[in-house]
Amino acid sequence: MSLRLKLLLLGLATLVLPWAGCRYAREMESALRQGESDSLQALSQTIATSLQGRTDLLYREAAPGTAAAPGAEGTAAAPPPEPDPNFYRATPYDLEPLTLKAAPVVDGYADDWPKDAHWSTFEKDEHHRFSILTGVHDRMLYVALAVHDEHPVFDAPGANLLDPNTFGDRVWLGFEDPAGQQSQVFLAAAAPGAVTARRIVTGDYGRQSTRLEPRIRGAWQGTPDGYRLELRVPLSMIGTAFGVLVDDRDARGALPVSYGTLRGDDLHTMGHLILAAPGLTAYLGQFLQPGLRLSVTTPAGRVLARADALAQPVELQRQLPVISRLYRRIIDRPEGQAPLVSSSPILDRDHGFEIGRLEVVHTPDRWIRLRDRALTHMLNFSLLTSLVVVSAILIFAASLAVRLSRLRRASESALVNRGLVSPFPEVRARDELGDVARSFATLLGRLHEYTSYLRTLAGKLAHEIRTPLTIVRSSLDNLESESVPESARAYLERARQGSERLSSILQAMGAAGRVEEAIGGAERIQFDLVPVLSSAVAAYRGAFPQRHFTFDSAAPSVTLNGAPDLIVQLLDKLIDNAVDFSAPASTIAVRLALDAHAARLEVENSGPPLPADSSRLFESLWQSRTGADSRPHFGLGLYIVRLIAEFHDGTVAAQNLPGDTGVRFTVRLPR
Amino acid sequence: MKRLIAIVEDEPAIRDNYAAAFTREGYGVRAYASRAEALKAFAARLPDLAVIDISLGDEPEGGFELCRQLRAQSAELPIIFLTARDSEIDAVSGLRLGADDFLTKDLSLPHLIARVNALFRRVDALRQPADDAAVIRRGALTLDTERMSAQWDGKVVLLSLTEFWIVHALARHPGHVRNRQQLMDAANVVLDDNTITSHIKRIRRKFQTIEAKFDALQTVYGMGYRWVE
Repeated sequence: MSLRLKLLLLGLATLVLPWAGCRYAREMESALRQGESDSLQALSQTIATSLQGRTDLLYREAAPGTAAAPGAEGTAAAPPPEPDPNFYRATPYDLEPLTLKAAPVVDGYADDWPKDAHWSTFEKDEHHRFSILTGVHDRMLYVALAVHDEHPVFDAPGANLLDPNTFGDRVWLGFEDPAGQQSQVFLAAAAPGAVTARRIVTGDYGRQSTRLEPRIRGAWQGTPDGYRLELRVPLSMIGTAFGVLVDDRDARGALPVSYGTLRGDDLHTMGHLILAAPGLTAYLGQFLQPGLRLSVTTPAGRVLARADALAQPVELQRQLPVISRLYRRIIDRPEGQAPLVSSSPILDRDHGFEIGRLEVVHTPDRWIRLRDRALTHMLNFSLLTSLVVVSAILIFAASLAVRLSRLRRASESALVNRGLVSPFPEVRARDELGDVARSFATLLGRLHEYTSYLRTLAGKLAHEIRTPLTIVRSSLDNLESESVPESARAYLERARQGSERLSSILQAMGAAGRVEEAIGGAERIQFDLVPVLSSAVAAYRGAFPQRHFTFDSAAPSVTLNGAPDLIVQLLDKLIDNAVDFSAPASTIAVRLALDAHAARLEVENSGPPLPADSSRLFESLWQSRTGADSRPHFGLGLYIVRLIAEFHDGTVAAQNLPGDTGVRFTVRLPR
Repeated sequence: MKRLIAIVEDEPAIRDNYAAAFTREGYGVRAYASRAEALKAFAARLPDLAVIDISLGDEPEGGFELCRQLRAQSAELPIIFLTARDSEIDAVSGLRLGADDFLTKDLSLPHLIARVNALFRRVDALRQPADDAAVIRRGALTLDTERMSAQWDGKVVLLSLTEFWIVHALARHPGHVRNRQQLMDAANVVLDDNTITSHIKRIRRKFQTIEAKFDALQTVYGMGYRWVE
């Protein structure tokens, strides 16, 4: 893993800031939501408490028993009787009138009713069912009744309305009047159009008669699957209960199939007419705030009144900045968007039972906005911080990496090539890297001084030793001319041999220096490499009869710009090396191959593989010879090869042959 | 009358050894340790031959300076340079100053004496009429082995003694390859390969100043050199 990547990862760690911010924002939101929820609960409880026992505020008519009080003795002093708990218990027969915006025309057609209104359906069996819709407008109750009837039967016209034989389909309305008395009217039509309601009145001796109820108006119209009845009843006639019963006859005078929301036997109401007190909505309205919705429901959950300001914007500026919406998308949880709902029961005066429920709904807008503002700022800041930190780290890492690699390159080249890069990079830097660079520069400088000292040491030694050697040799020469006793001759001869050897050692020691001088004075000429090499190889055959030499050239003529003497000297050293490391009678192969831009001179021998650190083979004063040898070696041979190759802008490399069958030295000479 | 050889050498042991050797050979010897000492003596009397060390005491190139001054006094005086340094520059500088030969100190005394004798022979030969028997002609090349002088197309080529012996060894048998050892033996010197190579180069250059297309001295790579007519 590179330093750059590591530091980048380190920089990315600052992203924990926005992450923590998000976490914090969520926490804050939860807390806000909790607080909001608590205050909402308090609000709903306050309103519910204010409505406690106030059935009169909730319902249009007080529950049965409450309104009956005025008839009894002791008017004001007596506490109102307890309301009937059953009243608040929902039945399937309850009717909930709509609040109509306009009065429908009572004509038997339902097209002026709200289209999306929910019709309640009462069903006895699949042939006997009706749907009903009720509505209130201006103290009138409107009823629309759609009856499914395969065989609508009208009353006989003009007949006695009490003669069962003349009865057609009839619709009974039953209700509890404001005094709590059950009363019923029926509607019968002899033909489509307006119908009237009649009461059955029992007179003296039980004689029954019908009496017109003029306050109720209706209209009867046939429909493809039955008939429709539209009615208008003044609310003043009705207390808290209202019901409808359909007598369906298949033929005039036949036994009816009765069904609806009235009891079949005595036509008493079974369901209530749930109607809010007129002032309830206004009452709720005083608690209303933007973003709130207050509803009062029956204990069963039917809405009595509702004051709605949910859709009202909390603040004028609804449009959020794009970035905030983006953040919201990332961090919002689904439940965060749901409106807060709090409901409290509205109890009767004695806390005995519920007379209704108050529900408060609050949109989450407000705290979302609060959170958004905080969150947006926080995220902006922290993301910006992260960005700045990451880019700073990235730049720092990049520059560090650049500096380090510069340092590395410089020290590598100082080690590989001959010389220290000057000025050594980073030595002026005042940080730790600068310290390292300075130490490196010092180290490499010392190393360089040391190696150049070593390199010149041989030459200097050769020079310094030559003078005393000359003294020895000239003294020996003079001694030859003196009368030396025969017994001393042998010593003289040994001394001469020793000085000869010393002399040849001096020759070897000075070799590299002389080659460097020769290179310095060498002239480049255009020459053909092939005859030079082949004549040299021919000479080696004579010089080393113990080895076989082969020479192959990829081309009959290879022109090179360089110094042929030096090339031969290079080959001399390679051959010397090959002869030294190969067994007698083995073959040394010299090959000249051609690359696109270079001639490749290869010398192969079947000697032992190269030592492990073969990269140093071509350095001055380095050798891996272990065996004893009569000739002096100073590790200069292959160094001279390198010097000559470099003089020709070439390179030299050594490698083991596949299977360690030998060693190949390759000199690339650019053409 | 004994020929007088001047030895200018700062190293007393070498100086004395050389002096002893020359004395044994019958030469008169004057030995000097420094340039100033030598110059003072030369002002009084010139030797017949001077053997000069290049570095003299605290003068690293005092020998060159001495050679220049000596050459100013006499154009014909044979001068041999001796040095512990066998580097190219020393050789080139020395010969440009008009030295007749240039030898490293590890040369054996017999070799040195052979050279001195040869130089005296050359001096003597120059004073006598030319002897055709001692002349070798190879095309444009004329070598007078008595005077140890070479001519190309009738023009004198100024060769040092070593160079003359190398050319002589090659031209005596044109076409034959002489390896480095043979050339060293012929020139009575012990030189390493690079020095031989630079001698050959210098010989070529000297001939080329007379004829630019001179190529009679050929390299046989890996073996040696040959003279081609």
